[in-house]
Amino acid sequence: MKLSIAWLYPDLMSTYGDRGNIIVLTRRCQWRGIETRATQVTLETPARELAHCDLIFMGGAQDRQQKLVGEDFLKRKGPVVKDMVEKGIPALFVCAAYQFVGHYYKPYRGEKIAGAGIFDLYTEHPGDQAKRMIGNVVAELISSLSSRVRSDGDAISFGEIASSMTPRNDNTIVGFENHGGRTYLGPKIKPLAKVIKGFGNNGEDGHEGAVYKNAIGSYFHGPLLPKNPYIADWLIGKALEVKYGKEIPLAELDDTLEWQAHDSIL
Amino acid sequence: MCLNLAIFLGKIISFISKRLSFGAGATWPGEAALRINPHILSSFASQFRKGIILVAGTNGKTTTASMIKTILEAQGLSVVHNASGANLTNGIVSACIGQANWLGKIDADWGVFEVDENSLPIVLAELKIQNSKFKTTTKNLKFIIVLLNLFRDQLDRYGEVDVIAQKWQRAFPRLDTGNQAIKPYQFIANADDPLVAHLGEAASSRPGLEARALYFGLNDPKRFVKAVDHATDSIFCLNCGGRLSYEGMYYSHIGIWYCTKCKEKRPIPDVSDWKSPLPGLYNQYNTLAAVLVAQTIGISDKKITESLVSFAPAFGRQEHIGNAYIFLSKNPTGFNQSLRTVLELGSKKLLLVLNDRIPDGRDVSWIWDVDFEMIPKDVSVRVSGDRVYDLALRLKYAGIKTTLYENLEDALATTGSFYVLPTYSAMLEVRKILKGKKIL
Repeated sequence: MKLSIAWLYPDLMSTYGDRGNIIVLTRRCQWRGIETRATQVTLETPARELAHCDLIFMGGAQDRQQKLVGEDFLKRKGPVVKDMVEKGIPALFVCAAYQFVGHYYKPYRGEKIAGAGIFDLYTEHPGDQAKRMIGNVVAELISSLSSRVRSDGDAISFGEIASSMTPRNDNTIVGFENHGGRTYLGPKIKPLAKVIKGFGNNGEDGHEGAVYKNAIGSYFHGPLLPKNPYIADWLIGKALEVKYGKEIPLAELDDTLEWQAHDSIL
Repeated sequence: MCLNLAIFLGKIISFISKRLSFGAGATWPGEAALRINPHILSSFASQFRKGIILVAGTNGKTTTASMIKTILEAQGLSVVHNASGANLTNGIVSACIGQANWLGKIDADWGVFEVDENSLPIVLAELKIQNSKFKTTTKNLKFIIVLLNLFRDQLDRYGEVDVIAQKWQRAFPRLDTGNQAIKPYQFIANADDPLVAHLGEAASSRPGLEARALYFGLNDPKRFVKAVDHATDSIFCLNCGGRLSYEGMYYSHIGIWYCTKCKEKRPIPDVSDWKSPLPGLYNQYNTLAAVLVAQTIGISDKKITESLVSFAPAFGRQEHIGNAYIFLSKNPTGFNQSLRTVLELGSKKLLLVLNDRIPDGRDVSWIWDVDFEMIPKDVSVRVSGDRVYDLALRLKYAGIKTTLYENLEDALATTGSFYVLPTYSAMLEVRKILKGKKIL
């Protein structure tokens, strides 16, 4: 078996240890004998190279870097990513990328910045006096996702995945958040998790992240996947399923250390 | 009166905290004095007979400032210096209080201060306030501002590298004296860091400067890296936004850079070759910066060389205690550089310590930007610290076996020489265990 992972803008959108997500996806495939290649897709890379990837990742950025990415993503890579997400290709968008796949980002001063419109959400920055949302975070996956996601396609629920792929009963996700923008979800997308500790999407509605088809958006870095290995496996599982047209069971790995690191945040 | 009261209180606190050996003794006296007199720093600054040297940047501040102090003192000059690494305004004021008499008089030639990235604009603003005094007192006083580098570091505390650069750039015009007769500022900047060099160039065109910025940098293609580090922060042109090209990179985004689009390029260094008293490429840069400062104030090359021969590393920076060598490693670029250096020194035993307290930054995501994969299989690796599981997990995914110690004292109990790479608060803990309570 083979998987090809697209890593979008590794030199521009990789600020908060985002590379960790790629390392974890790659290693967890390799440990299971799945041949894996991470393709670095940046400004100069033709968009067609994206199209034969099986899994997409895009991470956080500083403002200047995000501006540099802006036009390329909106005009060239974004539409391709949108098609792929619609087809069920699994994806992970973290921090700036999470904001970027929404409809728009409104800074506290100046014009709205258009997003790629892949996710039904928007982000607003309430002003430079508003507190940045910073700190260790814990959230619980929303298990009621199951039927809704399933009716939308062939996706399995996160709740089910969380308990079926790990010997644990809880389905918490842990990470670190650091964002000024507040993200609000529209009716066509579901929240990923319920915040237990921290702020999440906007610090108001108690939700964190978003899930649409097989694509996840989240403010959690830390990075997200190392300490939440079952989410990594869910993405890998989905990628294989879409590519080979059938559910492929993943060999279990020894995740003792992963869960020790996870539990140290709870 | 206000000054005297502030000094008096500061000195009392300094005395008490030293007697009781409180760890925070390096900042409390300054903090108390600042509460009474917020502009106390400018009262001190105008008293230095020769001038003030500020050292700013993400990595290398302590070592560079310490080298400058060593060179100056070897020439018989007296120096006030925030040696304990307390580099916020309160730490700088504390250092001055420590040297001042009970009337607030400082008897010293130079102030050599390392300054925290976020505090540089505040400190510069204080210097401007006292600038008016120079007009009547002395015209030969120098201000030297050394810009070492900017790397990602504690994003939850400092914010992004670009934000810091913007704050600095906004702070520099405040230095304009408006009086062409007095041009006391001299920038000394790293030519090989595109962001810092850009700041130097921008500052050079300002009126009121003594001269254009002076640059240090390396011309040594033998030391170019073959594979580019993952932790690079500034590889896009500040001028036009184009991707920078490099004749070669030394580490992170440090190298001989140029922009193919707008033709902006790395400035030609004024000093590029000097033997470093400490191992590590990053110390080569620290040495070049210190040497350029010394040359700028007229110290001969021969005397600089002589004074650096016996240079002893600053605390926690390649410091040797018992069988341990401590290499402070607090951000991806610093960690990569420390790792590379200890491996070049032939280290077979490493202890990595990761804390997530305020001085370390609460976010430990950055360990995934460190290239731990460079550690060879025959090196034994111990891990410890508040976030020991995060660190062990990172190393697991780098394919490196570790021994995990929840207790730092146990981790430090080993025979034979070993190398400790700790974050800031972890470094203080390691020293405390190895040495006893006192910071210096």
